[in-house]
Amino acid sequence: MVRGYSRPRSLDEALEMLARLTPRALPIAGGTDLLVDLREGRLGECHLVDISRLEELKVLEKRSGKIRVGAGLTFSEVERSGLLRECAPVLVKASSQVGSLQIRNVGTIGGNVAHCSPAADTIPALLVHRARVVLRSSNGSREVALEALLGGPYKALLAPGELITEFVLEDASHMWGEFSKIGRRRELAIARLSLAALARKEDGRIGELYLALGAGTPVPRRMESAERALLGKRPQEGDLWEAGWLMAQEMVSVSGPRPSTHYKEKAACGLLVRTLLPLLEDGS
Amino acid sequence: MEWIGRSIPRIGAQTRARGKALFGGDVPLEGPLILKLLRSPRPHARILSINTERAMKNDGVEAIFTAKDIPGRNLIGLITKDQPLLAHDKVRFVGEPVALVAARDEESAIRGVEEVEVVYEDLPAIFTPDEALDPGAVPIHEKGNLLHRRVVVKGDVEDALSRAHLVVERTYSTPFLEHACLEPDAGWGYVDKDGTLVIVASTQNPHYDQREVAELLGVEKERVRVIQAATGGGFGSKLDLTVQGFIGLALYHLRRPVKLTLSREEVFLATPKRHAMKIWMRTAARRDGRLLALEAKIICDTGAYSSYGVAVATRAAVHATGPYEIENVRVESLAVYTNNPIAGAMRGFGVPQVAFAHESQMDILAESLGIDPLEIRRINAMRPESVTATGQVLGESVGLLEALDAVEPHYREAMEEWKKGPRRPYTARGVGLGAMWYGIGNTGVRNPSTVKVQLDERGRVVLYIGAADMGQGSTTVLVQMASETLGISPEEMEVVIADTGLTPDAGASSASRQTYISGNALVRACRKLSETLLEEASRLMGLPRGELVLRGGNVVSKEKPERRVSLAELAALAKERGVSLEFEGHFDPETTPLDPSTGQGIPYATYSFACQMAQVEVDLLTGQVEVRRIVAAHDVGKAINPKGVVGQIRGGVAMGVGFALMEEFLPGSTRSFKDYHIPTAADMPEVIPIIVESSEPTGPFGAKGVGEPALIPTAPAILNAIADALGERIYALPATLERVCEASIRAGWPKMGKGGGPR
Repeated sequence: MVRGYSRPRSLDEALEMLARLTPRALPIAGGTDLLVDLREGRLGECHLVDISRLEELKVLEKRSGKIRVGAGLTFSEVERSGLLRECAPVLVKASSQVGSLQIRNVGTIGGNVAHCSPAADTIPALLVHRARVVLRSSNGSREVALEALLGGPYKALLAPGELITEFVLEDASHMWGEFSKIGRRRELAIARLSLAALARKEDGRIGELYLALGAGTPVPRRMESAERALLGKRPQEGDLWEAGWLMAQEMVSVSGPRPSTHYKEKAACGLLVRTLLPLLEDGS
Repeated sequence: MEWIGRSIPRIGAQTRARGKALFGGDVPLEGPLILKLLRSPRPHARILSINTERAMKNDGVEAIFTAKDIPGRNLIGLITKDQPLLAHDKVRFVGEPVALVAARDEESAIRGVEEVEVVYEDLPAIFTPDEALDPGAVPIHEKGNLLHRRVVVKGDVEDALSRAHLVVERTYSTPFLEHACLEPDAGWGYVDKDGTLVIVASTQNPHYDQREVAELLGVEKERVRVIQAATGGGFGSKLDLTVQGFIGLALYHLRRPVKLTLSREEVFLATPKRHAMKIWMRTAARRDGRLLALEAKIICDTGAYSSYGVAVATRAAVHATGPYEIENVRVESLAVYTNNPIAGAMRGFGVPQVAFAHESQMDILAESLGIDPLEIRRINAMRPESVTATGQVLGESVGLLEALDAVEPHYREAMEEWKKGPRRPYTARGVGLGAMWYGIGNTGVRNPSTVKVQLDERGRVVLYIGAADMGQGSTTVLVQMASETLGISPEEMEVVIADTGLTPDAGASSASRQTYISGNALVRACRKLSETLLEEASRLMGLPRGELVLRGGNVVSKEKPERRVSLAELAALAKERGVSLEFEGHFDPETTPLDPSTGQGIPYATYSFACQMAQVEVDLLTGQVEVRRIVAAHDVGKAINPKGVVGQIRGGVAMGVGFALMEEFLPGSTRSFKDYHIPTAADMPEVIPIIVESSEPTGPFGAKGVGEPALIPTAPAILNAIADALGERIYALPATLERVCEASIRAGWPKMGKGGGPR
């Protein structure tokens, strides 16, 4: 039940409010996840602090070789950014596949991460971009690797009164990237599985490769066994199947067997093969 | 013809587009009381006590009603009266209404509902028809768990089986579905100056609502008036009482305005669903593809109460052969009570489910016999004078062969070129057909319609049509028919729709019946009016009756068009002479009831036919299916409004894509659109609608119906296309990612190219 609503004019005011109203304070940006939870009565008494219009959360710049992306950017803003198209291609592709246009116009990447759904589309993308997260509260700020923030399904490890303000990404200019998603329909679908991939080929070999799987494990995570299997290779199709299989095994070992495993094991393998086909030697 | 076959804009479309239409939730009255329902959390339980004392102490709560407050007969149901409006002795499904709270505001209503105390004693709950039919099963209703058994038998099945070259036997299953209307059920009401209880609601069935509410309240039918609000989709779910009974009950006791709007979650939880079915089917054929026999056993999960269960089980049985001539038939169809949500009518009344089975059978037979799927359908297609499973000899309007012919060029192109075209690696393309037939109107029972037309004193034609238009466009086509008959443009007419206080009973807007049945009634009424006008004009003008026609709002001489008399003049004259210019037209299709032991009879006066083709691309790695194109050829008799027909076809295809690939209502777990997926625009294939017109002699201007037929062939065509792509078949709907992936693996996909393969 919403007991109050405030719209602070600055980030500092927002942080002050969050500190003052804790534990009832609930930051709201796009609200595309939060409103669903509210409607289902899962949030108890709360006071909404609207951070959707804070300019401080809309940073978008390349500084000393890193890409700084404001947590308050909407998926649509990410999709449209020339800088991110060049330097963070996987994040752009993932953002363009979130929900529907209406959702992308209001939902933010910060909210997507803070909600920490196993199926969040931008988390695998941010993982392959090796994102670090900048967090602020009235007590100060800290920076952590994204992995360290993902505490479990719907459980981002944010301290009370803390906000995600930006993500710091490695520059992925000139790298190949892809984001693939399996849903029950083509739009407005929660991922059954998603895969983010970022790679660089050097002299026909895979010089760098980052893979992250969404919706297959309690929180999205990098799939290092598959990365290792392909690094340094001039991959043939069989190598992709090998890597896909390794990834599926890694997924199952993390999640444990579930009713969905039967499907997801095969689909994860297939998704990797499908996604990485462009990396094959002959480009087929 | 001037108005028939013309795509005039949908009547009422502008009002809706401008946001001016009043839907069930739009109450133009000040401060109505808010109604809310307390629903059972138990699937099957005895009610030991209901205590409303604490809830009544809430300031805003005005009244709380339970079964004991229902003054008349607390029993409702479209065919079988077996459902209480408010549960009295026991509850039979999760979501069953137990108490009705009326409060001054939403919050008080919610609190009131929360604070009603009900003590239940759980009974064993039954969630599958198999358990329900077990002799030891606890009876959900006093009469037992079998609601209805329908048998259709003809010829000698044993003999045919012994002569057959090939017998194919399979079992199919389909899930519960939610209609997913854009508008949730809603309505409001007030007490008129003369004491009439007026209920304005989202409905497909105003006259039924009126009768049922009057019976509940134990009052004369005339004391209740039901007016259809603008309705945002029905698809069968708004045939049952949803809000009307509760509004009536509150009005009866409180005599002040009330409103009731169901939340989306309540709609999912408690309004009727499409029957889940299990269909066992055995089809026998000769070597040349001619069908010899069909056997089927159909088990319909009808849920906690009957709703339209009897009609669904019956229609499924009658249509189980598909649109094919089969001499030997033995079908048994059971509607079985369970403690699942009520299953009722949903676009097609059981035919979409059986069509999935018979069309799969056709393709399996075709493949085994080495006959082209289109050819095997052509060999067996019903044509004029074919004899159906119920022994009915069809008339001349049987456009199935024309529909197959219309699809054929697309089919050949798809099979020979598109299927072999370049595509992404690890995908497969498939092409599939689905054909169907559908009886127009209710099955072997009277289902009349009456329409009234009047030329009022100002010379204006007013149509009184009881048929609810919930978006399908019945008003538009009926007005076009009136325009054609009376020579007046639609804008020049007034139309009163679906108001039991003003319009005669047209029956339900269901079973694709309004164009055919109310259309005939309307044309009859309009002809009576036109006859009288021509006679009056003949007298006035001194010209022979045969020389006169109605045109442009005048009676005109055919020979000398300058000689004319306006309808206004005729109206004035008629009034002077005391001649009534109000006429009713009546139509009830000629049918005979089905024999209870053999199912033989004439269940429908006419049938619509169709064939659709689906082109799909299947991702062999992940099970994703993309429907690329649907070609949909529908024999509608005559398209009164071609764009309206095309709209129905596109909408039907959309629903069919959902039925085929993603829709599944799981009792106890599906709660809302969060977990129930319907297709979005992005899932829609290219649709090529083809209208086939095999004129129906008994139809108004040759028309039949298209509302339900539009949906029926889509899922079978898509499933046949998936089977064509994979070389493996899926027998349970929907064809989810999991099922398609599974089938893909069963088929040995992905077949690897160079460089190794999957483990």
